[in-house]
Formats: sequence, structure tokens, C-alpha cells
Amino acid sequence: MFNNLFNFASPKKLKEAGVLGMNARNYNFISKLNKRSLYPLVDDKVITKGLADKHQINTPKKIGIIEFQHEVKNILQILGDYKEFVIKPAQGSGGKGVLVIKNYDGEIFTTASGRIITYNEVYQHISNILSGLYSLGGKYDTALIEELVHFSDIFKDFSFQGVPDVRIIVYKGYPALTMMRLATKASGGRANLHQGAVGVGLDIQTGEALNAVMRNVPITHHPDTNAELKNLVVPFWREHLEIGAKAYDMTGLGYIGADIVLDKERGPMMLELNARPGLAIQIANGIGLQKVLENIEKNYPKNLNAQERVDFVLNHKK
Amino acid sequence: MLQKFKSIRVILSIGLILSAIFAGYCMYYKVTHWGFSFKPRETKRIWNIEAHINFMPTNENIKITLATPEDSKFYKILDDNVIAPKYKVSRIKSTENKIVLRAQPQTEEQNLYYRILLFDNEAGKGTVRASKPRKPAIPEYDETQMAVAKSILAQAEALETEADLPQKIIEIFNEKPTPVAVSTLLPFKITKENVATTIKNLLAIKSVPSRLIKGVRLEENKKSFSPDLMIEAYVGGKWRLYNLKNAAKGMPDDFIIFQRGDKGLLDIEGGENSSIQFSVLRSTTSNFDLANHRARLDKTKSWYDNSIYNLPINNQNIIKWLSVFPLAILVIVFIRNIVGLQTMGTFTPMLIAMSLTQTGFVNGITSFAIIISIGMLLRTLLSRLNLLLVPRISSVVIFVIIIMQTMTIIGYRMNFDIGLSAVFFPIIIMAWIIERASITWEEDGAFNASREIFNTLLTSVVTYFIIQDEYIKHLMFAFNELNLVILFIVMLLGTYTGYRLLELKRFAPLVKRG
Repeated sequence: MFNNLFNFASPKKLKEAGVLGMNARNYNFISKLNKRSLYPLVDDKVITKGLADKHQINTPKKIGIIEFQHEVKNILQILGDYKEFVIKPAQGSGGKGVLVIKNYDGEIFTTASGRIITYNEVYQHISNILSGLYSLGGKYDTALIEELVHFSDIFKDFSFQGVPDVRIIVYKGYPALTMMRLATKASGGRANLHQGAVGVGLDIQTGEALNAVMRNVPITHHPDTNAELKNLVVPFWREHLEIGAKAYDMTGLGYIGADIVLDKERGPMMLELNARPGLAIQIANGIGLQKVLENIEKNYPKNLNAQERVDFVLNHKK
Repeated sequence: MLQKFKSIRVILSIGLILSAIFAGYCMYYKVTHWGFSFKPRETKRIWNIEAHINFMPTNENIKITLATPEDSKFYKILDDNVIAPKYKVSRIKSTENKIVLRAQPQTEEQNLYYRILLFDNEAGKGTVRASKPRKPAIPEYDETQMAVAKSILAQAEALETEADLPQKIIEIFNEKPTPVAVSTLLPFKITKENVATTIKNLLAIKSVPSRLIKGVRLEENKKSFSPDLMIEAYVGGKWRLYNLKNAAKGMPDDFIIFQRGDKGLLDIEGGENSSIQFSVLRSTTSNFDLANHRARLDKTKSWYDNSIYNLPINNQNIIKWLSVFPLAILVIVFIRNIVGLQTMGTFTPMLIAMSLTQTGFVNGITSFAIIISIGMLLRTLLSRLNLLLVPRISSVVIFVIIIMQTMTIIGYRMNFDIGLSAVFFPIIIMAWIIERASITWEEDGAFNASREIFNTLLTSVVTYFIIQDEYIKHLMFAFNELNLVILFIVMLLGTYTGYRLLELKRFAPLVKRG
């Protein structure tokens, strides 16, 4: 471990490997391709969802929204007959403030982890969301209530609790790099890499696992389920890429991360978009992003529509 | 895209170069004209010379002429003033500087003072002024005297040293016991002045022009003495100074000339029994205090008046405090964008560093640790209450205030410095650190929370060690134009798209595989 501490690569070698650094990401891509005025389109999930519907992008169905404190008491009317649902802050990030209810029997609520909570606690949670507890900078927020996603069983063995999702970096409408994020015990059932989730780089053309890391260290098996990670293949791969490609058309942001989950019945669904996607995806893939983006910029045709772009990516000779 | 990016860099680089040139010129100007130095707490020796003129008026109109010194290679006059109520003061600046005082007839004994303030003028450019002398007149000696004089001269010339004539003569005059010939030539009452005049006469016989130099030899706390004398002879086409006591040649670096030539130093009409006594007092003054005087000498007073150094000392201290901020900001930018360390809040480390400069390092860090630990402990209790955001953070603010109050009381009662330093930390910042750390703790675990605090503290400490340095504080205040240079460096760093230091480690796995 201590060896690892002094394990620095030279900038020259990183450059050769085409690694994208934080400064270059911010300066050359985010600040140039992502207009500030477009940020609310992805920072507010209510807006994102509305846009997605317009562009025929699959998302979890909206049950309702609560904007003001006095509306919180209407929660039971909004829920109606729903037995399972998710309450999330519209401007939250990294899964903060997401309350997943697996079962509501008209009296008590059972969460995803099996904890039983009362109406008062749900009420309190929504109040917290509205007061900005989970939003960036503590801004007043909106609570979004959605249908629960029924995760495909394909990934059951690859994730410890939690929601495995696919992250696609989309550059000017072209899916550039993809990875799957798998929750672990260490990450507390969440799919955030910095909390210790496993990142599995996926082949952009096939959706097959390339390489896996946990906390920056390469691994071959999931630490909790012991599943061999190289066996991971994401089905409906083309549909995943289509969501990414369409996300560009719908937001106009040239450099985004799209988070996609696979529903048993409804197929791939866009969960959220990120205008400042992280760089860990490079490590998960073992591929430098700079190299990939330069290649897209130079060699990929312009003025294609979303379908054509996905076709190009899938059939393009590497 | 790339083109535009390059041009931004070029513009900023030009800005940086221009600001560096500007700063360089300002620094040069301040050093040469205002006497600023690069070292902190630099002081200069200051000499206070006081000439005390005393005489009895004779009921006539009074006119006093006092020869005054001029700047020399070694000393610069910062200031002079005359304390002579009822007198009209006029200054004459020609080949010889003079002060003329005029007054109505007076009846009582008169005591007037003339004070000058000198400082060691290492950078002074003045040279000893010389006018081409005429051939001196042969002194009016009778035959005997002339014979004695010539014998002394012969004796002097016979001395087998490398000294020149004036030095040889002075040597003979200084022989102990005094040679008979010399005593014969000197008047009954031997004074410095008599000796000097006699030497001058002897030189005149040899057609060497010479003159008396009256002035003050600077020695510490010298009180009530008559002016010191030196003789200046025109030898080898140049005026040269000779010390009458040891025949040393050249201008001693502790001598300040009031007057050259044979005229009296002090000339009084309408008075009698006059005397002039000098006192010398040495003191040291900081360069900043001197700058005002120097700027005036340099005729750049208006620049100086509009500078921060002319502000009341209170305001200067505030500006001194502000002057190090840009440097601290540069450090933060460097740590975040070049090193890549993530801290809580952008400028939080800077504010903590500022607090550390008030509390001292060990006290400050300990105090900080105590406040944060107790604060986080209380915050855990708070999180069970499930309060809304604003009331919750407000409660944390009040916690911090209570912790600070308690620490101060304990610190005072137990004479415990660490406790007393608690109040120097910014309350709101501390509250936010506690809040952020608690949230990170709950969501990402204790390890991540401690790491965030550690990174923040590390950045603060680095910043602290840079801004608390006496040298750097002095530089940033005395040469505040450096802030402009820092501005451009910060802006240029804003175009740095290379890897951050910590990314070299983070992305290292990518290189091995590739």
C-alpha cells in the first residue's frame, strides 16, 4: 500500500496515454461546450424529465411533484394507489436524499433496505428536500416522486444491494466512453465510485466488460458477490447508446454524462444527466478520454442525427 | 477554439510581463528615491545635530549669519529647522549655504538653536564641491617668524615619508613634545583654530592654497562642543581634506561640513560674547519613517502623499494586513489547481490561515481541533433532531460561539493560552466546516470526513507559513505593486490545462496498462 503512495506517473506518459485531467476537462470541454444557461436542464430532474418525454427518451414515470411546504400534506393523494415509489430531490446529486419505498400498505412505508418508517418520517423527508438539504448550495428544492424502477435481474450477482447503472460520456452527441457502476458493501449500497463502488469499463460497441477497478485498484471479482466481472455484458446496448446520443440533442450540452438504468419491463431508462461528469471512467476503462475525444473531433462526421451517430459508433472500425 | 485559447494566454502573458516591468520599476523607484529596503525592520542611523548660539545683544539691529552644511557623499540632510522666535529667517543657497536671522534690538541674552537631521546616505551621489583657488597671499610674518616658518617647512620636507606636504606639516605640529619652532610660531593661547591657521600660513609660503573646514564630527551623544576643524589644501589639482589630529587624508565618513573657508562659522551683528556649541545625538529610525523625508528631498512628495505610506498608521496596518491576501489566494489557487488538493470551501483555508497568524501556530491548531471536535460531537446530537437546514446550521453557529466563550473563560481562569486563541477563528466558517464534515461523515464515512478536514487544515498551514513570514509580509506591503503581478499569475493559472500533481497518482494505473 505504501508503495502505491509513491506511485506517480510522469505527465508525459499520461499525455501519451491520452488521459484527460481535471483542468483540461474544465477548461477545454466543460467551459467551451456546456453553456451555463443550459445547466438547469440537467441540474433539475423535473426539467430533465420533461425534456426527455419530448424527445421520446425513456425515464421512470413521474407520479407527482411537491414544490411548496403546504403541498407536503397532499402526499397521500398524490401517491394514490401506488404501492412502491421513489422520492428524490430534483436538484440532488450522487443519490443524496433519495428515499426508495418498496411497499406502502396505506399505513406504513417499507424502504428498499427493509426499514419501516411512518408517515411522519416521509413527511419530514419531503420537508427536508424542499428546504434544500440535499441540493447544491442549499437552494430551495422540489421533491420529485417517481415510479420505482424494477432492476433487471441480469445484474443481480454483480451488485451488492443498490442500483447498478451505466454511465455514458457523450461528446457532441457521440457516446465516447461507458462504464457500469456496481454498488458494494464499502460504498454503502450506492453506486458512487469515490465511496468505493466498483467501476467496470464497457466496450463501446458491444457493452462487454473490459476492465474493472475499485478505489483506483484493478480487480477481477466483485468484492461482495464474488461474481467474475469480465462476464458482465449489458443487454440492449444499442438502446443505452441511443439514450446518450439523444441526451445531446435534448440539452445542447456538448460534454455530458448520462446515467442509465435497465428496467425489467421497460428497458433502459435515463435516470439523470450530469454536466460535469467525473474522470474516474478513464480508470475503469483503462482508456484515456482525451485520446477518445480527439478522435471523435477529428474523424467522426458532423451533422448526423442521434440514430446515425449510434450507428457510426457501433460500426466504426477502431 | 485552440487559437482563441492561445490568444488569451498571450494577452495574459503580456499582461504579466508588463505588470512585472511596472512592479520592477516601482520597486527600483521606492528603493532609490524613498529608501525602502527589501529586508523587514531595516533601520537607518539618524543624526541630530543641534547648534546652540548664544550671545548678548548690544541694543542694535541683530543680524546673524550661520554657515550651514550641505549634502555630502556620506550624509544627506533630511530636515533642518531654526528655533529662534522673534527672528526673521532667510536661507541663502549659493556656493555656501547660510542661514540669516534678523531681529529688532533685544535686551536679554539670546539663545538660538539650529537643528539638522542627517542620515547615513549610502546611496548619496553628491561630491565635494571645489572651485579653482587663487594663489594664496604670503602671510604677514616678520623676519624672525618667517625664518622659523621656513625652518619648520624645511624640517617637514626632510621627513622621509610618502606623505605630501600638508600631511608632513601636520605631523610636525602633532609631535610630542611640541617642537620649539612650532611653539614659537603659535600664539600664546593654543586653540584648534590657531593651529589650523598657522598650518594654512605655512602652506601659503609654499604657495599651496588651503582653507579651514568647520563642521561636526559625528559621535554618539556628544554634547556642547565647539565646531570641529579640518584643513583642506589644494594639492595635485584637487582639494584634499586633512585631519589636523592625525594627518589623515580624505573626508572622514563621520564628518559633516558646515563651512569651508576662513570666514567665521557664525557672524553676529548687534551682539557680543557670542559662542556656538554643538550637540550630536544618534538615533535609529525605520525606513518607512524616513521615506517621508526622503521623498520630500527628492521632490517626489506628491507621489508619496498619494501612496499608502502616507496614511495614518492604523490604516497602514489594515492595508498591510490586506496586502498579503493576494499571495494567500495565489497559494490556494496553486494548491487546488496545480496540486489538486480538494478543500472544504475555496477560501476557507485562507481564512483559517489568517486566524493562525493571530493565534500563533500551535495554539491555533490546538484550538481549531478542540472547536471542531466538540462542534462535531454536538452536531451528531443535533442530527437526531432532524432539523431543517437553516435552523440546523444556525444552531451549529451558536454552538461554535458557546464553545469559543467557554474556551475563553477556561483559558483566562487557568491562564491557558490555547483557550484564549479560540475567539480568533471566524465563527461562520467554523460552523460550516463542522456542518460539511458531519454530512461527509454521515454519507461517506469518518475516513472521508477526516481527510477533508485534514486537506483543509494542510492547505491552511501551508498558507499560514507563507503569509506569516516577516520577510514576505514586508515585501508585499512595501512593494504592493507585486499584487498586480500576482493577479496576472492567478489569471494565467486559470488557463493551465495540464495535469494536477495528484492526478499523476490517480491516473497512474492508466499508464501501466497502456
